[in-house]
Formats: sequence, structure tokens, C-alpha cells
Amino acid sequence: MRTWIIPYVKMHYKGLLASILIGLLALACGAALMFTSGYLISKSALRPENILMVYIPVVSVRAFGIFRAVFHYLSRLTSHNTILRVLANMRSRLYKTLEPQAAFIESRFQTGRILGVLSDDIDHLQDLFIRTILPSTTALGMYGIVVACLGWFDIIFALLMAVYLFFIVVFIPILSLWSSRKRTALIKNGRYDQYHILTDGLLGIKDWMIAGKPNDFMKQDTMKDQSVAMVEKRTKNQQQIRDLFNQLIIGAMVISMVYWSSTMVAEGNMHVTLIAAFVLVTLAIAEAFLPVSEALEQVPEYTESISRLEALEETEAGKVTPKPNASLSAVPRSVNILLDQVAFQYPAFDKQVLKDVSISIPQGKRIALLGKSGVGKSSIVQLICGSYAPTKGTVTLNGTDATAYGDSLFDMVSILNQRPHLFNTTIANNLRLGNQQATDQDIVEAAKKVQLHDYIKSLPKGYHTMMEESGQIFSGGQQQRVALARILLKGSPVVILDEPTVGLDPKTEADLLTTIFSTLENKTVIWITHHLAGMKHMDEIIFLEDGYIEMQGSHQELLATFQRYQNLYYLDVPPSIRKMVQI
Amino acid sequence: MKKMIQNHLWTYKGVKLTLGIVVAITIVEAVAIILQATWLAEWLFRLFSGEIFQTTWTLGALFLLAFAMRYLMSTLKKKITFQFAEKTRVETRKQLMTKLFELGPSYTNKQGTAKLVNLAMEGATQLRTYLELIIPKMVAACVIPPMVLIYVFFQDKLSSVILFFTVPIIIVFMILLGLAAKKKMERQWHSYHLLSNHFIDSLRGLETLKYLGKSKSHGNTIKKVSDEYRKSTIGTLRIAFLSSFALDFFTMLSVASVAVGLGLRLIEGNLLLDVALVVLILAPEFFLPLKEVGADYHATLNGQEAAKAIHTILAEPSPACNPILANTLNWANNSKLKLSSVSHSHDDNGLQALSNVSLQVNGFEKIGIVGASGAGKSTLIDILGGFLTPSQGSFRVNQQILNTLNSEAWQRQITYIPQHPYIFSQSIADNIRFYEPTASDEEVWQAAKAAELDDLIHSFPEGIEQEIGTGSRSLSGGQEQRVALARAFLGNRPILLLDEPTAHLDIETEYELKQTMTALFKGKLVFFATHRLHWMEQMDRIIVLKDGIVVEIGTPHELMLRRGEYYQLVLSQLEGVQ
Repeated sequence: MRTWIIPYVKMHYKGLLASILIGLLALACGAALMFTSGYLISKSALRPENILMVYIPVVSVRAFGIFRAVFHYLSRLTSHNTILRVLANMRSRLYKTLEPQAAFIESRFQTGRILGVLSDDIDHLQDLFIRTILPSTTALGMYGIVVACLGWFDIIFALLMAVYLFFIVVFIPILSLWSSRKRTALIKNGRYDQYHILTDGLLGIKDWMIAGKPNDFMKQDTMKDQSVAMVEKRTKNQQQIRDLFNQLIIGAMVISMVYWSSTMVAEGNMHVTLIAAFVLVTLAIAEAFLPVSEALEQVPEYTESISRLEALEETEAGKVTPKPNASLSAVPRSVNILLDQVAFQYPAFDKQVLKDVSISIPQGKRIALLGKSGVGKSSIVQLICGSYAPTKGTVTLNGTDATAYGDSLFDMVSILNQRPHLFNTTIANNLRLGNQQATDQDIVEAAKKVQLHDYIKSLPKGYHTMMEESGQIFSGGQQQRVALARILLKGSPVVILDEPTVGLDPKTEADLLTTIFSTLENKTVIWITHHLAGMKHMDEIIFLEDGYIEMQGSHQELLATFQRYQNLYYLDVPPSIRKMVQI
Repeated sequence: MKKMIQNHLWTYKGVKLTLGIVVAITIVEAVAIILQATWLAEWLFRLFSGEIFQTTWTLGALFLLAFAMRYLMSTLKKKITFQFAEKTRVETRKQLMTKLFELGPSYTNKQGTAKLVNLAMEGATQLRTYLELIIPKMVAACVIPPMVLIYVFFQDKLSSVILFFTVPIIIVFMILLGLAAKKKMERQWHSYHLLSNHFIDSLRGLETLKYLGKSKSHGNTIKKVSDEYRKSTIGTLRIAFLSSFALDFFTMLSVASVAVGLGLRLIEGNLLLDVALVVLILAPEFFLPLKEVGADYHATLNGQEAAKAIHTILAEPSPACNPILANTLNWANNSKLKLSSVSHSHDDNGLQALSNVSLQVNGFEKIGIVGASGAGKSTLIDILGGFLTPSQGSFRVNQQILNTLNSEAWQRQITYIPQHPYIFSQSIADNIRFYEPTASDEEVWQAAKAAELDDLIHSFPEGIEQEIGTGSRSLSGGQEQRVALARAFLGNRPILLLDEPTAHLDIETEYELKQTMTALFKGKLVFFATHRLHWMEQMDRIIVLKDGIVVEIGTPHELMLRRGEYYQLVLSQLEGVQ
């Protein structure tokens, strides 16, 4: 609340104030229309001799009618314009919060789904402004105006009306919100459980079928649904009673208004033509106050979004981002990477991932990193990229700490990972992301190298084809080729391959790897993999286990020295099959 | 307005009754509105004519009575529609879930689980909201304005004419402006779509941007694009809001004209004040129901979309079920399964995922299924598991001829292990006994030991009762496979279907799993679809699929000697990189 709402209210107070004021004008015109109409017909009923006597009300009735519509229109436009400005600010803030965490965003949030959730959260905040903050504030403003206007005639009566309206605008909405908070939580938890049950049901549908008990699932689901529906029904009942009660208060206001105005007239304090005017206006302004209850009802739905966004920045605040202090005047052609007695554990985790690892990677060397999942292969990549600093030892590129480079490090190092993102723009723009200065000729060259040129040419719009949702145009293997072309255009001397072939079938995998290694001639290649296919082509193979290097050496060396490597290798390449091929 | 009510509205159970009751209540409500106006006008008129509050309060009481009646009716109306809408939601949701189970996993996969769960949760609720809104509004718009208009006509003809002719003007303008907005939207749709998706696209690609060294500079692009998005949205809104402006403008102008007309005729003495007051109070009431039809536009739209999506699924033809298979089926060493020209196409476009597969398997054979991605391996496994009913062909299980294996008796013989076995949000013990809910803890332990899960379970603070699955402790890929293996050991069912169980595992984990898995194969009919060809050493026969066609069948040795497709696959995998 404090960080995601108030700053924006302050920043955009002009726009917000404008839309509230114009909104108030619209309401006032609507009220004035009924007031003047009531006055007009009462005045006319007194049969003034000259029509000019009612000339002003006649004109203003029409004017109020027109202005009411105009102001309403303007107020909606102003509020939407302001909110969209707020949205733009919030979006760039969310982006800036996430940006420093980019390199490990996948490991923190597991999937890209959470990113969608965060983006939706921002949209929810937009609704908070449009549906709750603006209408409630406008109603409060109208409240003030109404009481002030009546106070001009009679302070005591104004106070009475203030009490009535206090119920509608403040007391009942808050009471209703407060009394339903337990049920709101129940519904939320119930929905969450239900979501799990359904997901279990549909993702595990084959298991339910094989177990022969789809009916059990249906029963479980229906029961949960009923219990949630019961609570929802009670909430609904409460809302209906609340709305009825609000209406009755308005009825009471009308009666009080009649009593007050007729008494004023009887006592000679007010002209008789104003009775109808006051009563009609009471009926008309009710529309301004009733929506408050509904507006506040939405609040619990926003709190979750707000707390999620706030949590994001709190964890961010706790982390020390290393300050870059080395900048590259020119990208070096040769990069020597050195991990020296490195130990590492993730902040806020007590498990040491790497205990003592030393690796030297001179320019042009090809090494493969192997080991079970969770052994720290990706940690080594993050250390080389300077996303984290080692807890012990040093990680240096050409003698300078990796963390000191900041983003300029990526001029030297490129990464091809499991899911390179293809942006929703043209193919050419996607490739050009590797190097903004690349000419069309460069782009075609790169596409040719990764063997995509012919395919791209076969598309109706060629290089200007829009990517749409990635995957519709390019298969998994082709997406990797696009990313590879990007890396080639970037031309960095070091390329890290972070399991780029996971999920591809062996044929596609073999073709892709062939292209990768033929195009990355003379570059340093660090390849994280979980299979042994292709190990022959690597200069060095490193097996990690329990935070140490378990085996290290070339394919031939390992095969000759380690029984374990032999076992694994023969699993991948069974001797019997091998023999058959060699016949 | 007709467009807003979709045809399937009439198919919901009890809709006519609900509609009838709502119409009756609305008529009472309209009468209350008219009475409320009449009594209030009468009261004001008498006060205007010099009477005092104390002598006229009975009229006030009558007014309050009518006023309360009106909102009581409106509450009643809401209650009744909610009841109906809720009943419809529950009913529709149930139909949806039943249908999804009938259509089976191939359908739910194709549609996407997230989308379907969302439809059953949000979609069904949106349908309820839609019914809740549309029924009372529709009835109010049809009942209240005509009744009010008729009453006004008998009070003051000229005013009723003004009110009456405002309606077509409003409709014409709203249609014209709506069309203009639509045209503008369509013209801008492409850029609008791009702009609105730019942000999420950027977030998803953040990692990639970072690796390209572009993530910092892209922050400014976000701001710029968001601003462009705002400008283009406001451009559209300027026109979109015009239609509600037209509604506002003409109703207000109409009320104002009525008021002025009344005033002028009062001066001339052709009219009495009480009549004028009634008409003036009723004029806004005439427009109110019409205005409300246009409100909650988004909720209405979402509800319609959800209803459409749900009804599309409900309209899918259910696959034929085959109850013929005797419940006594017990796969044994002398059992036989024969597939005759089994074909399947996923879409209506006729592209076949599997075409003309014929084969026979006997007893406890081990069958390997290999081929490139998209060759039809998973489709074949799904058909063998009865998850999918093929579009053509037949099966013979021992002596019975069937057109699908989607039968409880058949599925009871099967253990199925996919690439990512689904882990339910339950204890690890319940996960293991998922197929055999009656198994004792002792038996579960035995199975866990056989699957070498015991070390893992001992490491859990709550041991075998430890909650696993999404939301609690998540398991690694290898551990998930071991849970699936434990299920298989516990059930000890005679047929084993494996669909790429190790494709995503690192080689060491696969190596460790292999011992356990081979132990499971003994005395079972095994179908094993995989890319990892080293498993073929354990198979008796291999089916090689290419583009949905069986290109080779034979023992591993025979196929190697043939130097055909299988040989090529082996070659490409042996070295990985050429």
C-alpha cells in the first residue's frame, strides 16, 4: 500500500484531482438538472404573467442536461488517461525491479508463469484506481458538497443529512467489509484448494483413469465446490441486505427532506417553489453514494496483488548487488576464465553448492560440465557471469573479478540456454538484438550459418515475418538456431551452452550440436549437458559431485582411468550396439 | 438486446420458470415505481398548495411503503436470479468435468490444463455473474419502460411522446458510434495488440535481454511503449466512450425537454402541478432500465465468452465407450493383443498421427517403440493405454474384438509411467498407493524399498506421511520417477506402459534408475517408447515409427542387420556430434 499506491497518488495528483473534480461537476449537473426542473415547474404552477420570469430555469435545465453528459464523458477520459500514465510508471518500475535479477529469474520463480501473474497484478492495481479509489473519493467529495449546500440553509438539518449519508458512504461499506473479511478469506482459501484439486484431476487424469476412480475425483471436487458456494451465498445475502438497507436510508432521507422543506416554507423561511426542487434533487443524488459499498468490496482482491509486488521489492532490498567498477573500453578478443578454489552457497540457503572448485579456461578451450541436477553446474555459470560472488575463492575473467564487469561482461560472454526468448517482433529484429549495428547482409550471413536462411526465405514475408507467439513459426530446434545466430552476430569470444538441447529428439539434437560446434570455431565453449554424446569433441570434461570436481580430463583419459565414466559411457553407447555398427 | 441473450440461455434447466417469476416481480416493481411517484407528487402538490406536513403525512407513509416495496421486489428478484444462476453454474460445471473425463487426456492436453481449470473455476463463475446480470436487466428493460410510458401517456400525452421518441434516437446514435469505435479498433488492433503485449513479452524475455547486454537500455523502451499504448488506448476510448455519452446526452436532454414542456404548459394553465410532478419523477425512471443494460459491459462479455467456451466443449462428441470387455480379464503369459489397421488423426484436417498400425503381441513380451519426435510414439502409447480412441481400426484382446481399449477392465491391467509422472498434492504414501488405495503402510514401504525410495523417505521429517507435490515439497525428476516405480511395484499390474520415462534425466540418474526399472520388467508385458536407444538391449522386439507409420518391426539384432531406419537412428545417436 505504502509503496505501490501512495507514491502514484502523489505523482499523479493533478490528473486524479482533475478527474475527481470533473466527476463531481458531472454529478452536480445531474443534481442541478433535477433541482432546477422541480423549481421550474413549481414556479410555472404559480402562473407568472410573463414567460420571461422562468427564462433562466428553462435555459439552465437544458444546459445542465447537456453539461452533465459532457462532464461525465470528460471525467471518464481524464481518469483513464491518468490511470494509464500510472500504469506506464508501474510497469517500468516492475521491470526495473526485476531487471537486476534477470540472470536467475528462472531459478527463483521456476516458471515464466509468475511473470504473467506479476503483470496481472499491475493491471489489478489499475482497477483499484478506476473502480475503488476514484468513485469512493468522488462520493466523499459529493458528500461534502451536499452537506455544505444544506448547511447554507439550515445547519441542524445539514447535520441530520450528514448522519444519514455517513451511514451510506462510510459506516455501512466499512462494516460490510469488516464483517465479511472472514468469509472472504474462507472463499479465497477454498478457491485455492479447489484449484489444486482440479489441477490434480486434469494433470493426473491418466492416473485417475487407470486407478479406475474418476468418480472419486468428481465427488471430492463437488464437495469442495459446495462448501465454497455456501460461503459465497452468505456473502451474497449480506450484500443484498446491505443494498436494501442503503435504499431505505435514502427513503428516510426523502421523507426528512419533505418534512424539513415544508416546515421551512410554513415558517416563511423558504419560498414554496423549492419544496419540489429539494425533494427531486434528493432522489437524483442517491446515485452518487450507492456505489461506495460495492467499490470497497473489491479491496480484499487487491491486497494480494499489492503484497506480492511489495514482497518482490523487499527480497530485492535484502540482496547486495555488486557494483560494477570495471568497464570495457573495447571488447577483448581473448578471454581467460579462472575459477580459483571457489566455494559458493546461495544467499539465504544453508547448503553449500560448491565447496572447492578450481577450473582454468583459456581462450578457445572447449569444456563440458556434467553432474546430477542440483550439483552446481548452473551456479558455475552464474559465477562466471558475475550474477553472484563466490563465498570463498575468486572467479576472474582476464584477471578481473567477474562481478566487477556488471552488464559489460555480456560483451565477452554469450549464453545459449534451454529456452531462448524470441520477441514478438520481426525475425530480422530478433536477430539484430545480437548486434544493433548489424547490416541486413550480416543478418543473412548469420542465418545462413545456422542453416535457417532457406526456411526464412520460404516464409511469405521472409525476414519481416512477425514472430507472434514463439513456437508457431519455429520448432524447438529452430528457435535454438535463431538464438545461436543472435550470438554469432554478437561475436563474443566466450559462449556458454546451458543444456540447449533438452527436449529435442536425438536427430535434431545431433544436427543442432553439429551446427553449434562448427560455427563456434575458435571460441571458448562451456557446455553444460547431461548426456555423454559428443564428449569426444571436448578438450576437457568435468564431473561435479558434492561440491567438488569428481573427474576431470579428456574423453580418452576418463575412459581409460575411471570405471564410473566407462559405465556411464557404455550406458549411452552400449558396446553391443557399437559393435554392430562397426561390422 | 436480442444479441445479448445467447441461444443456450434457453437450454438451462429452470430458465423459463425463473424468467416467469422475475417478470411477475418486475411488474409488481413497476407498479411500485408508479405508485411511489404518484404519491410523492400528490404529497408535494398538497404541501405546495399550502397544507402542512402534519395533515399530509399519510401520503408520505404511502410513498415510503411503495418505495420499500420497490426495493424489496428488487432484492427478491436478485435472490431468485442468483439461485438460478448458481444452480446453473453447479450443473454446467459438473457437465463440464464429466465431459472432460469422457474426452480424456488427449483432449485435456491439447486444450491445455491451465485453460480448462480456469474455465471450470473462473469461467463457470463468470457464467453465473452473466446470468445474474442479464436476466433481471433484460426483463426490467422490457417491462418497466413500457409500463411507465403508458402511465405517463394517460397523465400527459406530450411528455410521453417526447420520452418515446428519444429511445430510437438513442439507439441509432449508439449503433453509429459503436460502429465507428469498432472500425477504429479494428484499424488499430494490430498495433494495439503489439503494444499491450509488449510488457509481458519483455518480462518473459528478460533473461535473454540480460544475456545480450540489453536489459538496462530496454527499461526506457518499456516506458516509451507504455506511453504509446496509453495514447493509442485513449484514442480508441475517446470514440468508445462516445456511445455512453450519447446515451447520457439524449436521456438528460429528454428529461430537460420534458421539464421545460411541463413548465410552459403550466404557465398557460393547461396542466396541473401534481401531474407535472409525476411525469417529472417518472422521466428518469423511464430511462434507468435502458441505461443499465449497457452497464457491466465487461462482466457480460466475459460471461458470454465463458459460456461459449464451455458449450463448445460440451458439444464435442464423446468417444464410444466399450463395456464389452469382461471384467475378468487377467493378462497372462498366454494372452494375446492384436491391433488391426489402427489409425488416428488428431485434427479434422486428416493429418494422421498414426496410420494403419497392425501388430500382435503375446504374453509378457517387451516391446520397444522408437522414432523421431512426432513419429507417433506417444499416440501409440495413449491408444494402448485406452486414453485415446483411434479414429479407425480394431483391437483383439484374447478372443474379444474391440474398437477402443478405453475400458476399465483393460486399464486395471496397466501401469503407466510417463516422462513426468504426476505427483498429487498428498502424502508420499498416498501417492504410492494411488492405484491401490487399500494397500497397508507395510505394503507401501515394501514398494518404496523396491523403488529405492527408502533413503529419501527417511530424510523427510514426517517420513512416509510427508506431503509432496505442488505447493509442498517438490521432488526432483529422478525422485518423481521412483514414486511412479513404487506405484508400479505396489500394484504389480501385468502390463507396463512407459512413455519417455528418462528423456529429461541426467545420465547418472538414468544409470541408477535403470537397475530398478529392469527389475520391474520381469513377468510383464512392456511397451517402452523412448529416444534413449540403450534401453533397446532389454527389449524383445522393436517397433520403429516414422511419420505415423510402422516402418520396421523386429528384434534389435534383426533391425541392426537390416541397416534401415533403426540403424540410422542408432548411428545418429552414437556420436551425437559429427
